[in-house]
Amino acid sequence: MRDCENIRESIGRWLDGELDATESESITAHLASCEECRKARQQLESIQHILKTTLVAEAQQIEFLPFWRGVQLRIGHKTSWYEHALEWTRETFTLSRAAWLVPVSIAVLLAILSLESYIPGWREGRNSFASVESIDAYGRNVALLRQNESKTTVIWLYADQEGENETADEPAKSAPAF
Amino acid sequence: MASFQELVSRYHQKVYMVILGLLHNRDDALEVAQETFLRAYRKIGSFAGGSSFYTWIYRIAVNLAIDAQRRQKRNPLDFRETMDGVLEAQEETARDPFADVHDRELRENLIRAINELTPEHKAVIVLRTIEGLSYKDIGEILGCSEGTVMSRLHYARKKLQDKLSAFL
Repeated sequence: MRDCENIRESIGRWLDGELDATESESITAHLASCEECRKARQQLESIQHILKTTLVAEAQQIEFLPFWRGVQLRIGHKTSWYEHALEWTRETFTLSRAAWLVPVSIAVLLAILSLESYIPGWREGRNSFASVESIDAYGRNVALLRQNESKTTVIWLYADQEGENETADEPAKSAPAF
Repeated sequence: MASFQELVSRYHQKVYMVILGLLHNRDDALEVAQETFLRAYRKIGSFAGGSSFYTWIYRIAVNLAIDAQRRQKRNPLDFRETMDGVLEAQEETARDPFADVHDRELRENLIRAINELTPEHKAVIVLRTIEGLSYKDIGEILGCSEGTVMSRLHYARKKLQDKLSAFL
């Protein structure tokens, strides 16, 4: 049974003459003794025969001169730039080529992102430095620290101690409020 | 132009057969066959002779037919309708009326079964059946390896056998 399965896997190639001499001989010997496999062979041959006779009968109805006139008409027909562009696009962007677009796009994106480390000043407008603003709010000082990259804002509130201690250099320490 | 005409006269029926096997519609097949020779005429300069002319022209034909099939939104039963003339003409020459009915049924079912294959599977079956091309040549035409041709042929034949076993 296992042998029959293997033989049927190879009958198509055997009919096509794509097997080497040894394999070919073993299939011929098996077919001589196995009716089921002979039937499988006959089925394949029938399919090929019917398909071929049907298509040949169709093709024989195609007369050369009208066909040739059709080809000549196409050759004489001037194609517009639009048709040329369409044809070029269709031939250039085949499915197999389009498949390359994904890895290429990823590579280009990574290259652009890595430019930052090679070119100083690249993406300067979108720096991630924090900015600090200080606002005098009626004796109570407010300091804001904004960091663009992490979208973090830190707010300090502290009392103005200048009046109390003129010599103090540092602002009063207070706990930051978030 | 005379030598090109000679090439067309030699290959037009074979090219038409391959395309009809893929498209299953006479009018579309005729149009795509003529378009194939137009492309061949325009690109004959790019045919370097590295491959034989028939593999080159079949490659153009198969690519155009597969493109056309993907665009085609027609009812797949069109083929059965357009093929009726051929089936009737072939029946007239047959002697046994019971055999006629069986043959007709078998052909119709074969056509339906082939229609259900993908364009790539149809292409290997048609190229192998019509021209008896080697796996190497078919691979060259379809732009794939011999192994791929072999597995596609095996799959397509198995499908056809399964669907037609009641009639064979």
